[in-house]
Amino acid sequence: MSDFHGIIKALVACDTTRVTGLVNVAIADGIAAGDILNNGLIAGMDIVGEKMESGEMFIPEVLMAARIMGQCATILQPFLGEQGSTPGVGVIIGTVKGDLHDIGKNLVAMMMESAGIEVYDLGVDIAPENFIACIKEKNARIVCLSALLTTTMPMMKQTVDAIVESGLRDRVKLLVGGAPVTRAFAEEIGADGFAADAGAATRLVKLLANSPEQTDHLELETQCLR
Amino acid sequence: MYDRMQELTAPDMEKIHGAALDLLKTLGVSFNEEEALEIFKAKGHRVEGSVVFFEKSDIQRALKTAPKRFTVHARNPAKSVEIGEDDFVFLPGYGAPFVMDARGDQRRATMEDYDNFCKLIQTSAYIDMNGWMMVEPADMPHGTVHLDLNLSNMLLCDKPFMGSPVSRQGALDGIEMAGILWGGKENIMDKIVSVSLINSLSPLQFSNEMTGALIELARHNQACVVASLVMAGGSGPVTLDGVLALQNAEILAGITLAQLVRPGAPVIYGSTSSAMDMKTGALSIGAPELSKNIQLVAQMGRFYNLPSRSGGGLTDSLCADAQAGAESAMALSTAARSGINFILHSCGILGSYIAMSFEKFLIDEEICGMVRSMIRPLALTDESIDIDMIKQVGIGGQYLTHFKTFQLCRTEFFMPAIMSRQNLNAWTKGGKKRVDQATEDKVSQRLAAYEKPEIDPGIEKLLINYVEKRKKSIKEKEDV
Repeated sequence: MSDFHGIIKALVACDTTRVTGLVNVAIADGIAAGDILNNGLIAGMDIVGEKMESGEMFIPEVLMAARIMGQCATILQPFLGEQGSTPGVGVIIGTVKGDLHDIGKNLVAMMMESAGIEVYDLGVDIAPENFIACIKEKNARIVCLSALLTTTMPMMKQTVDAIVESGLRDRVKLLVGGAPVTRAFAEEIGADGFAADAGAATRLVKLLANSPEQTDHLELETQCLR
Repeated sequence: MYDRMQELTAPDMEKIHGAALDLLKTLGVSFNEEEALEIFKAKGHRVEGSVVFFEKSDIQRALKTAPKRFTVHARNPAKSVEIGEDDFVFLPGYGAPFVMDARGDQRRATMEDYDNFCKLIQTSAYIDMNGWMMVEPADMPHGTVHLDLNLSNMLLCDKPFMGSPVSRQGALDGIEMAGILWGGKENIMDKIVSVSLINSLSPLQFSNEMTGALIELARHNQACVVASLVMAGGSGPVTLDGVLALQNAEILAGITLAQLVRPGAPVIYGSTSSAMDMKTGALSIGAPELSKNIQLVAQMGRFYNLPSRSGGGLTDSLCADAQAGAESAMALSTAARSGINFILHSCGILGSYIAMSFEKFLIDEEICGMVRSMIRPLALTDESIDIDMIKQVGIGGQYLTHFKTFQLCRTEFFMPAIMSRQNLNAWTKGGKKRVDQATEDKVSQRLAAYEKPEIDPGIEKLLINYVEKRKKSIKEKEDV
């Protein structure tokens, strides 16, 4: 395995020029694009995530690192072939109908993307039927619902109910988040899980992706919170 | 600029000035110190017994020579401070006999506690000057403790420090030691290297010790805060209006003596008067009257073109709880935004000066940082407004991923080290700690991170020798 220490360090330092330079050098040296992505960039973003949790890195820096990661993914795209472009799990995310607050949702989406997860960001004010249409279309396995207002939290339940009625409930894991959302609320409306912040949401999704048969979501969340 | 607390008009201040002049002329002020009485007599003041009377012209002459601002030099020149006009300094608590621990148990303070406060001050990002007697060490002999305090101030911290006002000889010891620190007394004769706190004894008296110290400090051009602490309803009138007249007379009398000793001697107009609690007879320093007086003192200081001093993070609460936080922040922010130049007791005090708390020291210190940040003026340049960026982001866009946010995210806002901004999950995970509980660990971390500032070993030795020699001679005198 090659040494990706330089890429990781430059990514954590948000040094765009250096990261893209090192990625190009690695490609020229014939290192497999999948290795650069997984062991360099994604490994770097894992550290970024940890540093965000511990308060060492600030949100704009995390987003900058995510943006650099995205640029590098574009550079790597032609070399990845089939295997690299299907990370194995699709996540649908959006704020529920009536809620236009998207800063937190965007943060979660960007954190997940930079962890190598394929994210379909539907945007804001998404009606239940639009979530359902997207689940069918993308064959996604995880749906993340976001709400900032207590007045739009009931719409989370309506969305969950609509997914149940559509017959798609067994195909997807439903996760909810947003400042007023709690674990108790997630359980009450029949969601599968909850995350308190973007870092925890990303870890939860990764755990779900890696162990799709895991049904004890409380256990998963507890792992995430550790 | 509109400020609801900035209430004194020019005629109001003239009226307070006039009332003080009346008191100084008709009632006088008692100075229980021989040399002071000689100085006043020699300058033509009427003196009856220990009571000195002042004419309007005496006061006017003194106010003319007192400087409106000055520099206090630190042995590390990068840490020298400016006092006066728009410049101000935060200093630690002063004079507490006890330490209150995080569990609410109070114990006598020790020399080790004093040294630890020096270390916290040295490592503080927001405390500008070292204080004096942050705690009163009970394990050191009373007659010589001022030497130990001076030594710790000079060796453990390279910020400017407060001096010893305990007595004439105490002040001289401080001056001698500062002379050693600066490589010779001649090097500090025209250089301010300390600020000492001279308190009146309300109503209308100055003690022998304080007066002797004031004379020596002024003679050596070392700065003095001349301060009055009137307990409204006890040692002064029950109305703040009356307190203003009384404390003004006391402060002007002290400042006049300093200017007679050495015209141009640096002085600070000080008061930390407050209300006496009418249920218990105790001094209340969490009272709104304290904060109101702070503002009034700042205005009177400006009226006389003098730097001003007040208290800061003060509270009557006996633990670092919500009451302590609210009262301390109220007084501290009032002092800073009113224009006080020398904010003593900025951090650590609990229970109406009875105790210092290490935990509260760190909490108050953070409030100092917040207050400094809050009153830092805007740049208001085209670059800081950056209207192009706002147009670029447009309607409904977002700024979190903008490069400028990335660039400034570490420097533009105040970043708390103690105040919690956690969500419920993180707070729960951390054991649901209140700020005072969360701060406990930080005290030991800060002390562990402390490094003694470098000093010329020869100078350090001379200072230690001076302290030992003086201790011996004081002990011999006491034994006789």
